[in-house]
This record gives sequence, C-alpha cells and structure tokens, in this order.
Amino acid sequence: MTDAAVPLTVNGHAHSVRDVPGPERLLDTLRWRLGLKGTKEGCRSGACGACVVLVDGRATLSCLTLTHDVPGAQITTIEVGPEDAAVARVRAAFAQEGALQCGYCTPGFVLTLAGLLHERGRRAAREELLEAAGGNLCRCTGYAAIVRAVERLATEDR
Amino acid sequence: MATFDLSAPESPEAVVAALRAAGPGGATPLAGGTDLLFDLDEGRVAPAHVLSLRRLPWRTLDWVAGALTVGSTLPLRALEDDPQVRTLYPGLYEAVRNVGSVALRQRATMGGNVVRSAPASDLIPILLALDAELDLFGPQGSRRLSVDRFVIGSRRTELRPDELVRSIRFPEPRPSAFCWQRVRPSNDISQVAVATAYSPSDRTWRVAVGGVQPRPRLLPEAARELTGPDPPPAAVGRAAAVAAARSPFVSDRRASEEYRRRLVASLVERAVGLTRPAPPRSA
Repeated sequence: MTDAAVPLTVNGHAHSVRDVPGPERLLDTLRWRLGLKGTKEGCRSGACGACVVLVDGRATLSCLTLTHDVPGAQITTIEVGPEDAAVARVRAAFAQEGALQCGYCTPGFVLTLAGLLHERGRRAAREELLEAAGGNLCRCTGYAAIVRAVERLATEDR
Repeated sequence: MATFDLSAPESPEAVVAALRAAGPGGATPLAGGTDLLFDLDEGRVAPAHVLSLRRLPWRTLDWVAGALTVGSTLPLRALEDDPQVRTLYPGLYEAVRNVGSVALRQRATMGGNVVRSAPASDLIPILLALDAELDLFGPQGSRRLSVDRFVIGSRRTELRPDELVRSIRFPEPRPSAFCWQRVRPSNDISQVAVATAYSPSDRTWRVAVGGVQPRPRLLPEAARELTGPDPPPAAVGRAAAVAAARSPFVSDRRASEEYRRRLVASLVERAVGLTRPAPPRSA
C-alpha cells in the first residue's frame, strides 16, 4: 500500500523511502528525496529521455515510473561509481569525444547506452546503439559528437 | 496533481475483487503506465485506487506450434529479444520495436496498448492484420474476443469494468510487415501506419491502417485486390489506390487528410512488398 516505505537500492546503497505519495515518479524520488540531481527532468512525458535510469539493469524512463511500482529494484543513476563498467565506459566515450555542451541531456544518453551494453553483454552494434540513442533529445550539440561517442563504443575492443 | 493510493494485488482474482469493490471509476488497473499516467496527471480519470498489475504472472511469452501468446503485462522490450518473433511474426517485431523508445518499451505493455485504445496506437494495426485474439479475465472466468471486436472506438473497448486482459494470442505465423511515417522515428506517433499480413492457411491478405479516426481498422476492400503470396504489381497498385480512397482519414495536428491519402498508398505498396514468406525455421 501507499503508506508503506519503498525499499530501493540506488547505486549499491540501500534506502527505505518513507511517505511517498501514490502518484510520485521515480524521477522525483531520486532528485528530491535522495538528492541525486544528476537524473534530469526534461519533458516529463516520455519524449526526451533526459530522465533515463537503469531499473534492474534496464534503461527505463523514470518520469513514467511510479516509485511505488518498483519496490526492491536496483536503480543505477549517473552518479554511480566505476563499479558499473558499462556506465563508466559510456561516460569515458562521451568525455573523449566531447559529446556534450550544456550537459543537461547527457545523463539520459549515458544511461540509455549503458542499458543496451548491459543487455547485450557489453557489446552492441553501432546501429542498435544509435537506435537506442534515438530516444534521447539533445538541443545543443547537433549530435555529431554523440554519434562519434557511439561509434567509439561500437568499435573499441572490450 | 491527482492523489491516489497504489496497491499491487497478488492475483488476478484479487484485482478483479478490488475493481468490483471500488465501483465504477473508483479503481483503475495499471500496467506499464506510459499512457495512463497522463490521464491521471491531468485528471481525465481520478480513481481513488490504482491497482498495479506487476505481481500478476502475466509477463509471459508462450509458443505452441508456432502460435504466439503474449502475456498482457510483458514489457514490449522483451518481445524484441525473442528471435522467433522476428522470423515468424516480422510485422509484429517491426511494430513493437518502433513504439516510443527503448526506455519507454521497458515499461510499456501490449495489454496496456490495447486497453488504452488510442486512436493512433501503433500496435493495433498489426494486431488486426494478424487476427490477434484477447483472453479476458473476469469474475465469471475468461472469454475470448478478437482485437477487431474488442476495440470499438477512440479510447473505447468492450472491456467490462471488472475485467482484465490476460493475454494476446496470435493464431498462426504469417508473413507480415509494418510501415509507418512520422516526424521523428523515436518517441513519436505515426501520421499513417500500415500493417499487412498474408495468411497461408486461408490464402488471403489483411491490410490494416492506423492514423484514421476513430480507431485503426482493417481495409478488406484493399485486401481483396491481393491474391496469392506474391501478388503482381498491378494488383498491389490497385490495393494502394483503394486504401487511399477508402481510408477514413481526417486532418488533425499531425497531418492533413490529403497528405495521409498520399502516404497510405506508398505505405501499402511498401508493406505488401515486404510481406514475404518467413525463411525456413532453423536452429
């Protein structure tokens, strides 16, 4: 029931989140209750991908996920440390290619691509990575550097 | 924002009991929520209770002699990972993988798509072309209804207030295709979508179109122009012309009626061309 605390493991740390109203989104729980502001609110309607986090290893829109609907889930956000090798790899590729300007959309891109790497056992084809990234909007890079980061992920030897 | 209490009953019987106890409008089932949450946020529905279906044992994908049954609460993303979906139901695979985005399909479900019955649903056309049938679970047990009979209008279905969609069944593998036109490939809804399928058992075609009001529909007049697994170009051209003339398009914020009529002809030709017998089953 809504009154119960919601257990969540976020970036390896166990939390029991209390007093969460039924309509609250995972996005808001992460940002406002747990203080993890790396996950961004964009359109709040599933169209921009800025809020993507991993839920049990899978890229998921946190703006369309009710916190009460994922009790016990393992959540990974952009704040995760190097223990998540996929996230670390994507972050490094973005840094090496300078694949950001304002950075607002970057956490969503990184988690979307890291989710695909998790699904595919760390190797994913360029086309599949680009299709996944198609769910994320960037309004300032023009995407060229992001595509280069994707190509780096698809071709680097792992 | 609306307030509601969220619970997750452990069984379908418990969900149905809670729906009955709450009375009309008092409770709403929640599958993935990718569509329902907008109605809750904007107050178009305001139930006191939202019943999450996440604990029901319906996140399933079953094969029986080539017939596919998809559990209503299976995330769409899981369908993409089954290699047999791609080879035996290629049109379904294409339709599913073009819904929203990867991160949206991790939440969105086929049951939710059918029950929410959006006029621009990009899954309903292929369900129509493949003669998909729903298994509905209610207080009197289960009943079966074709998708064509279930979806009766924009946001309107035959689902009773105390019923749930348990699964969606695809009776036979069919060469099939799904073609669409959108402003943006991801996270957008088609201006026009066309699903085609050829039934090897009764040697007939199905042509379905989305982007029409009040709901996606079959176009039997267009399908009748097509005969055999590999119809000649002239027949395909006639089917496209019939689809353009007979589709009940209207102009709205996504596209004009005229543009849709031009689009549907191209999409029918393309979809029929892509509807080819599945490669032999191997491995």
